[in-house]
Order: sequence, then structure tokens, then C-alpha cells
Amino acid sequence: MFQFVIRRLLQGVVLLLILSIALFLLMMNLGDPIATMGSGRALTRPEDRARLTRQLGLDKPIAVQYLYWLAGNDWTKVDSDGDGVPDKNGTRVGIVRGDFGTSLVTRKPVSEMIGERIPNTLILMVASEIITIVFALVIGIYSALRQYSVLDNFLTTLLFIGYSMPVFFVSLMSMYIFAVLFKKWGLPYLPTVGMFDPQIGKTLTQVLWHMVLPVTSLSVIYFAAYSRYIRSTMLEVMSQDYIRTARSKGLPRRQVVYVHALKNAALPIVTVIGLDLPFLLGGAVVTERIFAWPGMGRLFLDHLSRADVSVVMGILMLVAVAVVIFQIITDIFYAWLDPRIRYN
Amino acid sequence: MKRNLYVLLSLGVLASMVLAACGGGQPATEAPAANPTEPPVSNATEPPAATEAPAEKKVATFIWTQEFTTLSPLYASGWFTTTTQQFWNCWAWLYDDKNVPYPYLVTELPTIDNGGISADGLTITMHLRDDIKWSDNEPITSEDFRFTWAMTVDPKNTVNTTYPYDQITAIETPDPQTVVMKFDTPLAAWLTLWKGLAPAHILQPVYDADGTLDNAEWNNKPTVGCGAYNFAEWESGSFARFVRNDNYFDTPAKIDEIFIRFVPDDTAQTAALVAGDADLGLFVPYSETPKLKDAGVTITTEPSGYNESWFFQVSEDHSFPAMLDVNVRKAIAMSIDFASFDRDVNLGVVQVPGSFWDALPFYNDPAIQPYPHDPEGAKALLDAAGWKDSNGDGTRDKDGVEFVIQHGTTTREVRQELQAVAQQQLAAVGIKLEILNYDADLFFSGYADKGPAYSGELDIQEWSDAPAFPDPDIYYWLCSEIPSDANPTGSNSFYVCDEELDALIQLQVTQLDPAERQKTISKINQIFHDKVYWVGAWQDPDVWAVGPRLSGVKFSGVSPFFNIAEWDIK
Repeated sequence: MFQFVIRRLLQGVVLLLILSIALFLLMMNLGDPIATMGSGRALTRPEDRARLTRQLGLDKPIAVQYLYWLAGNDWTKVDSDGDGVPDKNGTRVGIVRGDFGTSLVTRKPVSEMIGERIPNTLILMVASEIITIVFALVIGIYSALRQYSVLDNFLTTLLFIGYSMPVFFVSLMSMYIFAVLFKKWGLPYLPTVGMFDPQIGKTLTQVLWHMVLPVTSLSVIYFAAYSRYIRSTMLEVMSQDYIRTARSKGLPRRQVVYVHALKNAALPIVTVIGLDLPFLLGGAVVTERIFAWPGMGRLFLDHLSRADVSVVMGILMLVAVAVVIFQIITDIFYAWLDPRIRYN
Repeated sequence: MKRNLYVLLSLGVLASMVLAACGGGQPATEAPAANPTEPPVSNATEPPAATEAPAEKKVATFIWTQEFTTLSPLYASGWFTTTTQQFWNCWAWLYDDKNVPYPYLVTELPTIDNGGISADGLTITMHLRDDIKWSDNEPITSEDFRFTWAMTVDPKNTVNTTYPYDQITAIETPDPQTVVMKFDTPLAAWLTLWKGLAPAHILQPVYDADGTLDNAEWNNKPTVGCGAYNFAEWESGSFARFVRNDNYFDTPAKIDEIFIRFVPDDTAQTAALVAGDADLGLFVPYSETPKLKDAGVTITTEPSGYNESWFFQVSEDHSFPAMLDVNVRKAIAMSIDFASFDRDVNLGVVQVPGSFWDALPFYNDPAIQPYPHDPEGAKALLDAAGWKDSNGDGTRDKDGVEFVIQHGTTTREVRQELQAVAQQQLAAVGIKLEILNYDADLFFSGYADKGPAYSGELDIQEWSDAPAFPDPDIYYWLCSEIPSDANPTGSNSFYVCDEELDALIQLQVTQLDPAERQKTISKINQIFHDKVYWVGAWQDPDVWAVGPRLSGVKFSGVSPFFNIAEWDIK
């Protein structure tokens, strides 16, 4: 197992290197980050364009920009005062040494910007994932055990409706109904945007209260897909010989379903969850935007639209690393769930 | 089974009701029944009775649809960044709700008559008030002005723009209350200077230690300021808080705290304003205004100098041949019914501007009227220019060349709607319009990055732009600004090089006498109209949505929050 993990990690490093080159090349074609840096609503003046291009290092060849991003520029002299003569060593140490660079737009360290957003994203996404999994398990198992019953058909219809709706529609509709209309009708209503009411402050209750709409909107979409997976895998497992054997031995129904059937049905579900988990770090772009939730999705979108390479690359690489790690964890989890799987 | 169904449905309904009801004693954002933020009814100046509970703090919530990138006036870029500074920083002069400047940090505005501006225009002297101070009680002196200028033009600082400070050659500070600015050439747009100050006593040690202000903590946490409010907190992507500055040198603010929430989605902004979760929003889409008005929200438009504009490319090297003919450009302008578009799509909130200086009546004099919508007149002009549909395919042609031109803009929805209308209306006069859309960072990419506008790929370009409002200065149309391999940062994406226009643009920027400058701008204005280098689609003012709780609200198009200290919560 140890060798397997080491091998997968080494493969991951090579994969990440190739991925970073591909992404960096794509980023270079995003647009000009300096184009809209003018004062007020104005475009950037030509003199400022030329100066900023040089000062931010955007006049360097792509290969050099990538090298600085990857390995830093503290080993080479750069022109710090704009006289065209390199006069002192650079200050960047590169992503391989933990330096994600500095945002072209805010001039803040990217690691600091990402660090500010990750907790908010995780609060939202983990809550949504837990609710999704719990409800999906309950509904999926119920539907499998009572296939084609009235309730199964009803839930299937409902889930398909949920699954068919785009997340922006669910988000805006729920905001309109539970915040705007409920207030208009004199009912207790939910907040529209943000994480807390400024009059009260950022308390746990306030954050939980402000999470209701975004979490519900996210869960409605994912919940439908997850519960369908669980329903189909449970149906398949429930018709297996070992389940029949367990039943014929007189095991209680609860033990047959939750110990023997669910554990075996969990393998494909674990795959899906394992694939989804790293993307929790990336946040929910649409939901965060609509509910003004300060997460990674919004950070990504805001800086992508400004061609802020350092921030966008930082987020993408973070998610890529998470994908590699969670895939290894998923593989290890497989072995625990299914004793037949051996990695040596 | 039916029983299970009923139980499940009942649980669903119950859960939604519980969720909606369990947000605390009262809805989180609902104003308390007896508004505790109101001043005591009896007498506002009377001290409260000893037993009276302390009044709840007055918090006004503003929505910014875009987060500011920094708080430093040196590194500022974008409207939201420069506007937010007005809460906590200070300008040398402010502009009232008529966009008229008045002295703020200075005792009077420099003029030639009062000796503040020298006769040759190369020296401007400012006298500072002796009671102005930073929020830490340190006095604001001429050294702060000199330091702000020096740091802005210092090549070790990656500021977003050095203009207009790079026009100053030296600053002398003979005493703490006198600032003497020296120029090589007169700067007519000197009023665009001093929109924000950097405290020398805080930042000089940082610069001395780091050799740059790029990483100064003050840039994002300016704990020392000079506005009606002090910076308190900024959580990226979420909110920023500004609390009343108790050391403010002017009339203290009435509202205790300004809470800015970053809400990027227009529809969510509207929902928050309608639900009472916000007191102020801005740049609301015109289509949302009826819904907001119904909810008691006041919509205010404030001229900011901007106009949604069509810029015509006129270049023998790049343009479609017909675009070189002024009558063809005139025909295009007459083919589009901008007035109907503004009435139907923009709901009449804005009108068609006839001039690039539409928001500056002093300079738009005599006022230029937009070209009338006259498709028949347009057809006659095109016929006279030799562009006729000789092959009967519905598109005019000449010498075997079909009249097909490109119109490019960003992906903003209303621009795409205008493109669709224009395509239809130009087709009706026999011109085929190809429409192209780009993300803003791609559309405005420079010549070196092969941006579509700056590379000369578009016959008509559209975006919202303004002169250096409230100054009338422009520079895009200078011949020297035409982009090329030798001048990759040139801003003249229209490739217009008109010697008469060029000379007038260069002249106006040096004219310190407003009357003389007005005459020059009027000539430029007339050339724009007569030669159809520019056509306005709609005025693009700042659109504010003011919630019913706010009072005392006034806006300026230049310094929007000039009277923020007088704002109150009802």
C-alpha cells in the first residue's frame, strides 16, 4: 500500500507539472489584465500600459513568465526602477516553494487571498455535501426498497424536476420566494445576500441563517443525482445471491440492508463522492455569485474576468492537487470497503 | 403508502416554515417596529435621560456590485475603488450635486485672479486650511501633498496610473500650509489632481524600509485617514466596514457605520434592495427600475460624463473603404433609431447624447443634436456615394465589393441588444453588419496583444467613455496615439488622424482660461459631429438606488459622496 501511495504521488507530480504548463499557456490567451486598470471607469492610459506591463513582468516571454511563476526569480536580477538595467534580485520564490505569486489586480499575495476564501467555501460546500449525501442515502435506499411504489414514483418525478433546473434559476427563485415575497406577505423571511446582518454582526447563528438559501439551492441540484446513483446501485445489490442468502439465514432486514447491501452498494457512490470532494475547494461559482457568498468560486470568476493569471493559476493548481490527493484517498477507501481489492 | 406520502409532504411544508421562522426573535434584516435608530422625538439636541437605553447604532448598508481592488489612492483603479476612498480619505476640493467644485482641504480654489495660478500657467499654488488633520490627530500639511506626488511618480511603486501627477515637475513646500506645483507646460486639467492623499508620517517609514509602497499594509488597511469615516474592516469578497471618524475636522457624520456588501449579481442586488437588506445600490439595470420604485426605492441618475458610444474607425489601412466617406458614416448614424431603443429597452431613463461632452453643458455649447433617425435620408446618401444593390441580394455594393462591416463590443447584455437592433436597421438600408462580442479584457487588449479594437479589426467599436470629467480633456484621437509596432500602447483604436482635430486637442489641454478652452472644445465637438467620428447611443450616468431609510442623500457625478457626513437614517 505504501509503495502504491508513493507511486501515485510521483505520478501526480508529473501530472501537475504538465497540467500547469497547459493551463499557463491557456491563461496567456485570456486577455490583457492591464486593459481595464485605468482610473475610475476610464481605460488605462498608454503611458501607464507600457509602464505596468514592464513593472508586472508581462513584457517577458511566456517561458520566462512561467519559469518565474514556477521557480521564482530570486536567483536572477530584475529591473526594479524602470531604467532598463537589471539592478537587484527578484523577490518571488515560485509555486514549488509555496509562493503562489501576487495578484496583478489587487497586488496582494495570492496565498493570502485564497486563504481568506477557503473557509467560507468549505462552510458552504461541506454543509451542502453533507445534506446532499444524508438525504440522498435516505431517499435512494427508500426508493430502492420500495421500487415503483407511489412514493418512489413521486420522489423520482420530484428529483428529475430538481435535477433539470439550472442552479441560477433555483437560487434566484428561492431568493425571490423566501426573501422578497415572504417579506411582502408579512411572513418571516430569509436574508437575500451575504453572510450576516451588519446590525447584528457575524455570529454563528447569523452565518447559519444566511446559509439556508445557498445550501438549499446547491443541495437540490446535487441531491437529485446522488439519490439516483444510490437507488440504482442498491437495486442491483439487493438482487445479488449473497443478499438472498443473508435473508434466508434469517438475518434482520435492517442488518441485511444497512450492513450487507449498503456497504457493497457504496463502491460506485464513493467514486462519485471522491471525484466531487476536491471540487468543493473550487466553490460554487453561480451560487456564490448570486448569494454574494465570499468563496473561492467568486474569487475565481472575478479574477478570471480580469485575466489575473496568478490568482486563477493558484486556484486551478490547488484544485488539481486536491484531485490527485482525493483520488489516492478514494483508492485507499476502496480497499477498506472491498477486501478483494489489493494494491500490492 | 398514501399515509407516507402525506407525512412526507407535511414534513416538507413544516420544515420550510420552521426554517423561515427560526432566524431569531425577528427577521434578521427587518427594521425594529419602533425604530430605535431615530433621534429622540422631544429634542434632538437634548442629552438623553440617564435611564434611557443607549440608541442602537445607525448602520447603512450599501451594495457594491464590484469589489474595490485596493483602498490606497495611489494604487486605485476602477470606479468602486476611487469612490470608496471618499468615505475615509480626502480630496483637495470636492464637487457638489451640480458638479461645481468647492474648496475642501484648501482655503480657496487657485485661479489666475487670486494669484493661485501664475500668468504663464506653469505654477499653481495651493493654500491649505490650518485645521485639517488625519484621523490620528496629526495635522495634514504640505508635506503630505509632496509625498503623495513623489510616491505616485516613483518608478519603484507599481501604481495603476501616474496621471496627472506626472505632469508636475516639482513641488515646493515653503511652509506647512503652502503647496507650490511647477509644470513644464500648462495643465488645463489641474482640477483632476489631489483626489486622495497618502499620510507621509505613516508611509514614509514604510517606503524607507521596503524601498516601495507596493506591499504597505496601509494600502488595504488604511487605519489612518482623513474622511468622515475611518476604515474598520475589509473581508475580501464579503464586506467592508467604515465607522464614524470622531477626529474628523469637519462636521461629524450622522450615521455610525457604513457597511459595504459586495454583491456581483444585478438581480440579487435588486432583491436585496426590495427586501430592505440594503439601503443603497448602484448601476442598477434600467429594466429593474420599475420593480425598485414599486418597493419605495428612489432612483437617481447623476451625470458622470460617460456616454455609451459608437466609435468609427477611419483608416485607409484598416477600415472598410466606405467608412472613409463621411456621408456613409452619416448614413449609418441616420439608420439607427437610438431614441426608440432608449425608450423601449432603457425605459426612457436615459436619452440619446448628441455630443461626447453631453454631461458638460459649458463645453457642449452650442449644444449638438444627435442625427435624426431617417432611413430614407440614409438611403439617399448611400446612393449618392455610389453604394447600390446592383446584384439584388439585399446588400449594397460598389465595384464588386459588398457593403459588409464589423461592429464589436463587450458581452454586456444591453450592448448585444443594441447590436441586434442595429443589424436589423442597417439591413433595411442595405448594409450588412457583422456583430462581434468579446469579454472586456479581450476586447480592450492592446495592439501588442492583438486586441480586436486596437488591431484595427473593427469598423465600429462600442463602449461607454467620457472625457476627463469634469475636465473636458480627450486624447484618444491624437495622431500620435495610433497604435503600431513602434507604438504598441497607442490608444487611438479608431486610427483617425485628422490634422485639424489633432491641433485642437493639443491646444485645449494647455488653455487655462475656461472661456478660451470652451471655444476650442466647441470646435472639436463640431468636428466630431460633422465628420461623424463619434455617435452617442445613450447617456451613461451613475444610477443610484436609494432605499427608503436614508435621508439627506445627495450625489455628485465627480465626488459622489461629497456630503456623506450629512446622510442619516430615518
